[in-house]
Amino acid sequence: MHLMQSKNRAAILGYGAYVPYYRLPTTEIARVWKGGGSGPNVEKAVAAADEDTVTMAIEAARQAMKMAGTESVGAVFVGTESKPYAVKPTSTIVAQALGQHHTLAADLEFACKAGTEAMQVITGLVGSGMIEAGIAIGMDTAQGRPGDDLEYTAASGGAAYVIGRKDRSAVALIDCSTSYVSDTGDFWRRAHERYPRHLSRFTGEPAYFHHIESSVKTLFEETGHKPSDFKYAVFHQPNPRFPVEVATRLGFTMEQIKTGLLNPMIGNTYAGSSPIGLAAVLDEARPGDKILMASFGSGAGSDAFCIEVLEGITRTRGVNPTVKSMLERSTKIDYSTYSKFRDKLQK
Amino acid sequence: MAIQYWRRRDRYYRLVGSRCKDCGDEFFPPVYKCKGCGSEHVADKEMPRTGRIVTYTQLHEPLPGFEAQAPLYLAVVKLDNGARVLTQIVDSPDDSVRTGAKVEATVRRMRVDGESGQIIYGYKFVVRS
Repeated sequence: MHLMQSKNRAAILGYGAYVPYYRLPTTEIARVWKGGGSGPNVEKAVAAADEDTVTMAIEAARQAMKMAGTESVGAVFVGTESKPYAVKPTSTIVAQALGQHHTLAADLEFACKAGTEAMQVITGLVGSGMIEAGIAIGMDTAQGRPGDDLEYTAASGGAAYVIGRKDRSAVALIDCSTSYVSDTGDFWRRAHERYPRHLSRFTGEPAYFHHIESSVKTLFEETGHKPSDFKYAVFHQPNPRFPVEVATRLGFTMEQIKTGLLNPMIGNTYAGSSPIGLAAVLDEARPGDKILMASFGSGAGSDAFCIEVLEGITRTRGVNPTVKSMLERSTKIDYSTYSKFRDKLQK
Repeated sequence: MAIQYWRRRDRYYRLVGSRCKDCGDEFFPPVYKCKGCGSEHVADKEMPRTGRIVTYTQLHEPLPGFEAQAPLYLAVVKLDNGARVLTQIVDSPDDSVRTGAKVEATVRRMRVDGESGQIIYGYKFVVRS
């Protein structure tokens, strides 16, 4: 058996998302670098000059703790590939801002799946009884080299989840998960390099599709679940096409994935990508709904989760801004402003 | 690292001010002695994170370290408990920044500390209509 399931049932007690205010239309990137056209997504979310993974993680985490109604957590884990410091934890700054000191704190790194990995680790800590609750955050200010294909999609945002013992107020049960990893060099960034590199044709079949299909199929085989058991499905979203393609291959319909499919509007928020898709789904889900979430991280691996929405979801309405409202509250910027905000200008 | 910043980080991240145990008055920034009744029985207290703009201005020539954010809004915000904060207003359309507008606290990068490169975080506010 490869299925991971905690003996003490762990559940999402609260969640919060964060999408920055600024949007860069991909027509702007294409205008500057190609003379016209657009990228695969319509826009991407851009963090302001005074935002980074720390500030965005704090905002999402505050919302998650507010919804959970918890004042203390035993773990603060931030999954990200855009740490403001190479050495100095993002998680301790977040913990300080949350007023948490008697807690584990760590930054997890696994490209775009670091956020779901944080969710799995905290599920295990809660399931073993080591902690009552912990907060898992997937957040990034993803960077693409100017003019590179990645620049169209590399975006900012993510979500935070307070995971604790399942009780009557719990939002959603984390029923089980699977993971699948291999040494695959589809995307990387060496130390001291500012932008990641990728091997274009490796990013699809041997990386994204192979790993997600492997984790999800294992989940199906070992639980007996099938696609029609799920009301919603969320897949990692490096671009608008891949999640639709992998959903189709696995037997899911557009109806099941459209709620959590945010890439066309905000781009790829890396470690925040599948967690924020899940937040968008939870904003609309009802008790009893089953959700499949599958992340993908380059290098490479995928975590697949079976999540069941609980009665507690009904108490969460109106507690925090919805992902949808964050998509609506935005303003467009041009490439020059984006360059200034994301420190791409040499002075 | 700016030692003063490190000592004040709860003030900057969480708006921790003071509450007088005798008369109940609340203050931000924190005080050692109540400005209302003079009592020295004061305790740390996290301020409400919402309030309203009392007055504001727009800076086109900000201090060094804030150039990438120009033009920027500076405002005096009256928190829901009456305490007043001098702060930057961010992520808000120009026509929403006005006297009386509802605002909510957020944590942002303030500046990078000289050659050490340490990032100074602190509170700013966003207009919530």
